[in-house]
Amino acid sequence: MEKKNAVLSLYPTTKLLMILLFAISVFIIPNYLFGYAIFFVCLLIAAIGSVTKEFANLTIKGLFSLSVLIFVLQSFFYPGTHVLWEWSFLAITQEGVDFALGLTSKIIAVGSSLILFFRITPVKDFVYSLEVLGLSPKATYVVLSTLTIIPEMKKSSQIIMDAQKTRGVETEGSLMVRLKALLPMITPLVLSSVASTEERAMALEARGFTVNKRKTSIYSIEKTGRDSFIRVMLLVILILLIVWRVAL
Amino acid sequence: MKRGLKHDFSLIAIMLIPIGVGLNVVIAQLVQILRLPIWLDAIGTIVAGMIAGPWVGLVTGGATNLVKSIFTPTELPFAISSMAIGFTVGMLSKKGMFSNFGKTIGAGLIVTVIAVIISTPIIVWVYGGISGSSASAMTAVLLASGHRLVQAVITSMGLLELIDKTSSVIIAYLIVNKMSDRYLSKHNYAQSFIKSNKKSKAA
Repeated sequence: MEKKNAVLSLYPTTKLLMILLFAISVFIIPNYLFGYAIFFVCLLIAAIGSVTKEFANLTIKGLFSLSVLIFVLQSFFYPGTHVLWEWSFLAITQEGVDFALGLTSKIIAVGSSLILFFRITPVKDFVYSLEVLGLSPKATYVVLSTLTIIPEMKKSSQIIMDAQKTRGVETEGSLMVRLKALLPMITPLVLSSVASTEERAMALEARGFTVNKRKTSIYSIEKTGRDSFIRVMLLVILILLIVWRVAL
Repeated sequence: MKRGLKHDFSLIAIMLIPIGVGLNVVIAQLVQILRLPIWLDAIGTIVAGMIAGPWVGLVTGGATNLVKSIFTPTELPFAISSMAIGFTVGMLSKKGMFSNFGKTIGAGLIVTVIAVIISTPIIVWVYGGISGSSASAMTAVLLASGHRLVQAVITSMGLLELIDKTSSVIIAYLIVNKMSDRYLSKHNYAQSFIKSNKKSKAA
């Protein structure tokens, strides 16, 4: 990872505080335009951190489709009296549109800041910073091994699927046929992966995982002066937002 | 065997958490590949809860939604519901609700009720009733035909969760019963699944 980048090189908890500020700010300032603006702020930060493509991909796939769905359904079905547009039993009401705007702006703001956080922060760094703050190394292990296990499991599920197909298990056809295929697919996957926990436990035990001593890490990241600067800035912004809200 | 928050997180139980999360994610994908009309996205949590108890189940459920939210942040609020499912299954396992098939179906119903009770407020408060899952279409239809929001969400969620959670619990029960006695004996809550125990009781 290039350490020169202005966004990527920040300390993980600094990034987390920034994202939390974004997420909380939409609840401080109830205006929906502000919520949508947060998305563009996130987009800007993603651009600086050169992760625009992944960020845009995930927000469009995960957030926009859901937001559009919520927007359409809410503006039709939210109870209200000020009808804007009507066609047989369907009616769009002013109240529905207002509610939908408020709701989707919050979902987009909170969702896009979360997506941004995980694009600019490698999970490894994030967990490391939490461990420095006092998180148990066991929790670190759980998080990191989960992320490596999932792709591994996907591979083995593919292998199991191919093997069962070779043995004559039908995976296409009517619903009943596909339902019957379910158990032969799942059972070997669960049994083999659960059995592997025993080996993992012994391997870790042999390396002193359960020893009750403070553990050192071969991997380390440092806070810099810029982190403290940005933290102070974030606090100032938070205070300004609260003042703005009270003044309004 | 000692049970409780401090004793449940044995090393082998901790190893089960990432596996549970992985199973949740991978089985949900498998179900999509097979184009089945259910989710089955909690089997890993249920297996973990069954053999390693409520606390491990709770952590597995929570970790699943945390990991999912890295790519789809809209899953994050449902962490509470996943945690409740894991915890409930663990408690039911402690009470011996998985000792035979009939009781397991009862346990599936209890899990369904818990899932609906916890998920409904999340869907209503966080997403205004429409969370983008397959239940949303039904919710919308019920809303259009004049039902109240909470009622519409409970009806649509209840129906889908009933099918989804009971079949998840049954599948998990069938699979756990196929595990070896030697492995099950290492877990705190797996006594009711060990075959030699069952035989000695029958004799």
